[in-house]
Amino acid sequence: MIRWFLRGVSHRRLTTRFPRSPEPAPAAFRARALLDPGVASRDAERIVEACLPDALTLDGRGRLRLDAGRCIGCGLCLEACDDGSIAIDPGYELATTNRNRLVVADGEREADISPSTLGGAFRRSLHIRHIDTGSDGAIEQEIAALLGPYYDMQRLGMFFTASPRHADVLLVTGPVTEPMEQPLRRTYEAMPEPRVVIAAGTDACSGSIWTEPEVRGGVDRVLPVDVYIPGDPPSPIALLHGLLLAAGRVSEASVPRSPLGVAV
Amino acid sequence: MIVLEERRCQSAEIAAELERIGGRLMLLFVRGTRPELELCAIVRTDETTLTLRASLDGASYPAVTPRVPAAHWFEREIHDLWEIVPEGHPRLEPLVRHGPEQTEITLPANGELSAGHRGAERLSGPGVFVFPYGPVRSGVFEAAQFLVQTGGEDVAYCAQRLFFKRRGAERRICEVPLELAVLVAERVSGTSSVAHALAFSHAVEALSETEVPARAQGIRRIVAELERMYNHLEAMVRECEDASLSVAQAQFAALKERLHRLAGETVGNRFLRGAIVPGGVRIDLPSDVAGRTDELLRGWDRDYKHVLAMLLETDSFLDRLVSAGPLSERDARDFACVGPVARGSGVDLDTRRDLPYDGYTEFPVAHHADGDAMARMEVRFQEVDASLALIREALGSLADGPIREELGAFVRREALGAAESARGETLYWLEADGSATLRFCKLRAASFVNYGIFNRLFDSQVLTDFSFIEHSLGLSPAGCDA
Repeated sequence: MIRWFLRGVSHRRLTTRFPRSPEPAPAAFRARALLDPGVASRDAERIVEACLPDALTLDGRGRLRLDAGRCIGCGLCLEACDDGSIAIDPGYELATTNRNRLVVADGEREADISPSTLGGAFRRSLHIRHIDTGSDGAIEQEIAALLGPYYDMQRLGMFFTASPRHADVLLVTGPVTEPMEQPLRRTYEAMPEPRVVIAAGTDACSGSIWTEPEVRGGVDRVLPVDVYIPGDPPSPIALLHGLLLAAGRVSEASVPRSPLGVAV
Repeated sequence: MIVLEERRCQSAEIAAELERIGGRLMLLFVRGTRPELELCAIVRTDETTLTLRASLDGASYPAVTPRVPAAHWFEREIHDLWEIVPEGHPRLEPLVRHGPEQTEITLPANGELSAGHRGAERLSGPGVFVFPYGPVRSGVFEAAQFLVQTGGEDVAYCAQRLFFKRRGAERRICEVPLELAVLVAERVSGTSSVAHALAFSHAVEALSETEVPARAQGIRRIVAELERMYNHLEAMVRECEDASLSVAQAQFAALKERLHRLAGETVGNRFLRGAIVPGGVRIDLPSDVAGRTDELLRGWDRDYKHVLAMLLETDSFLDRLVSAGPLSERDARDFACVGPVARGSGVDLDTRRDLPYDGYTEFPVAHHADGDAMARMEVRFQEVDASLALIREALGSLADGPIREELGAFVRREALGAAESARGETLYWLEADGSATLRFCKLRAASFVNYGIFNRLFDSQVLTDFSFIEHSLGLSPAGCDA
């Protein structure tokens, strides 16, 4: 045992300083597609055909519309696009309190995409109950990594709790399969108020590639969702950002920017 | 490409025929459209892989399970999905379509599942109770339920209930355009994305008789072995957590994280999604990236060996794993287990060697005779070494040339694709009819068969061994449920 102790104390610090200092994703990371709002791409039809989860669709005027809450970051739209209207965003900090903010389309009104305020009830400490409603299993490992040496969320006062009765946050993964709908509702009902529901992962945000009848198509079909963390799966930093957002300790990233860097 | 020997028989004889053939039952499923349904079994013998088909004339046929126990979950699945009754099946209760929760164990009609294989025994008395664990479990776990019958310490019986996560992957694969279907396969079991994408792609490549370029084969081996490594590391992290070795847990978690970062930097996804596509790969590894990867893995190997050597000298770890969750070689064979679970019980099988693909050549297949949790972990320790050697060999010998071959028109109507995931043999049976989508898909993850023996590992075990036994199997509910 003493050898493990010495190994532990002699190891250099691995833990990220996020959120005090930023931790950018590697340049090659495919978080989600990016798009100029209202762009009329020559390749629009090919792009839409290449999008499995229907994150990229055409609006009534033949212009591209992006719902990043459905995007799995496969990058096939980029392969179908020759005119530079699509880019891939390597960002980690994509969580939002407003589902509409994940949508990039022409003519969105400012009022529809303003972030909601969750208040500061949980600023100091956050107790989290996780529930899997049909994920692919990768996101559970990314969540477990939050307890590991690189991310160590306990330094931020965040803890997992076994009982929903002790939980402030319900962290939901998966698109909500039929047999998990009741356990999800019951877990939520067992939680004291105030409570925050986080839909973690693209499939929890929207159902993504999965459809009825086996899945309900996103957590917000069953429960009111306060924070959406898109990603397939979201990286540990993306999850941390979402949890901090739920605690009111970070502000939301600005609304998705276009490939040219022009704010919407 | 897997060459299948074809045989036919009457549905009344399929059980006897399968028993006579012997070998390992890989798949048993119903295919076709009503009223012309067909029961199809795929069996691996020492010499060959064969399909045995039988027309289904009515709404029932004599069950295979009493003679070939490996059929037990397949036949329950057939019963759930097709409402066809395998007559004489000892435990025909819902498997893949069931109600949300259950707090009592339903026992099979008799004490035996098949000849010589004990089922559950009815236990009653003061203090005996059933502890329903899941589908929402303490900690961060995938949804699955375990009904543990105990008098307090000894586990009398443990029933596993899966399929809370069934998302209809087989249906989706047939609904979406063929060129996008691999994205669904990648998301069946998100921690085995590469293996599922490979097994699916192998089937599509067999349908179209496409040759994968040599460079793509090398890259496929690299990503597949990287995936195996982080999955095996996950099992080590979980076992150290169970043994309350927090430093060891953190060290293995850090090693695992380094592999995910490498995946994110090279492939653009921490679980290697988007690397595999039918006909080749989508991501190239330029020589500077290959060189840097080799260097990173060299340093990784040094740190890993150091931590592993310490772990193998830690009695409080070994004490918990040795003799926990015993699986006899006979059970492993009779229930057609795959992967480290089978290899840990002395069954010498590995898809990479037995149904070779993507240029895998000589490599040692680890196996171990003890059949306990420690044996399964020993297999993983050896396989991480083998994976590292395979990656570095592939990095050093990447051929020049294209990374993707255009798929030709389909020249076959049916094909089987296989790949060895970290959990074992992963199978995709695909059927095409010349349209833009597939006609039929039957997939089987390694976890589907390995979860089938979960209840057989608790012979004279105590409740506190539960998590050691569970994590030594290293299974994926998402893959099992599909």
